[in-house]
Amino acid sequence: MAAKRSKSSGTGSSGGHKYSVILPTYNERSNLPIITYLIAKTFDDAGLAWEIVIVDDASPDGTQEIAEQLIKVYGGDRVQLRARAGKLGLGTAYMHGLKYATGDFVVIMDADFSHHPKYIPEFIRKQQEGDCDIVLGTRYAGDGGVYGWDFKRKLVSRGANLLSRVILRPNVTDVTGSFRLYKKAVLERVIQETKSKGYVFQMEMIVRARAAGYKIAEVPIAFVDRIYGDSKLGSDEITQYAKGVWSLFVSI
Amino acid sequence: MTKATQTLTLLVLTTGIWLTLLFEIVKVPAPLDQIVPTLPLWVIVSFGAYLLGTLGWNIFTFQDKEAAYHSLLKEIDEAKRDLKGRGVTID
Repeated sequence: MAAKRSKSSGTGSSGGHKYSVILPTYNERSNLPIITYLIAKTFDDAGLAWEIVIVDDASPDGTQEIAEQLIKVYGGDRVQLRARAGKLGLGTAYMHGLKYATGDFVVIMDADFSHHPKYIPEFIRKQQEGDCDIVLGTRYAGDGGVYGWDFKRKLVSRGANLLSRVILRPNVTDVTGSFRLYKKAVLERVIQETKSKGYVFQMEMIVRARAAGYKIAEVPIAFVDRIYGDSKLGSDEITQYAKGVWSLFVSI
Repeated sequence: MTKATQTLTLLVLTTGIWLTLLFEIVKVPAPLDQIVPTLPLWVIVSFGAYLLGTLGWNIFTFQDKEAAYHSLLKEIDEAKRDLKGRGVTID
């Protein structure tokens, strides 16, 4: 099967900028091809140079097999698979992906459709407007929002967000959002110092970025949660989160 | 300076100012001097009210993105069709 002819003129268009999307995956066999399709379509329609770096943590469901198929369809210059030996965590997944990313900008996002690639051109526009170091997608400001959250989930999420904003004062409206565009050099620098896991990881990145004086802008996004199955937020995660906020409070 | 240090410094400063007013090192005209001892409680309660009010408002005005969900489902179908046609295994 021949790869579809893309509308962009090749890898050097869009003012010399290239966007690397790092996708950490674990058991994303069903979602991976579709999110790749959506990312490819978004970038090609916008005429931007792009690539996807898939960082798979030895998924037992055959995610890597699917990744290989996608490499055949889109080309090895567009899709890369950089596998790891086991489930080693998000921060190190990004660091691993960064080693192979050839773009000057990096997009981090989830592979489960909660983040829609259609917002990426808006992120890019915002970034160019102010020469921003980071552009983040916010669920809590402007036209941002979520599909699939019940009252309890909304309460916990907004409560946690408010707590972080008051204590850590990062001056962003969505501290744990993980749909972000970074200048590659900025991501590399910030990620070196970041040690937390889970929700706190994303929060730590943005708090450190703010402390370091990087220019941060926001774009409202619609977040579609758990398109397959329920969204659960246990008391364990809440405790971890509170501990995380405290440790950031006293260390940054 | 960490956020903790910043916050602590601010707290010490404002407490210091309040204490100078309380012990009349700096004099406050009546009837304002009646308010001075109650200020800390007033600040705490107001802050609590602000937090709860903000949280309540944020939840009340939270946007539900139903349309985004439906358009996403359509796009997923489109993606599945396209990729199947190009030889990718779709589960």
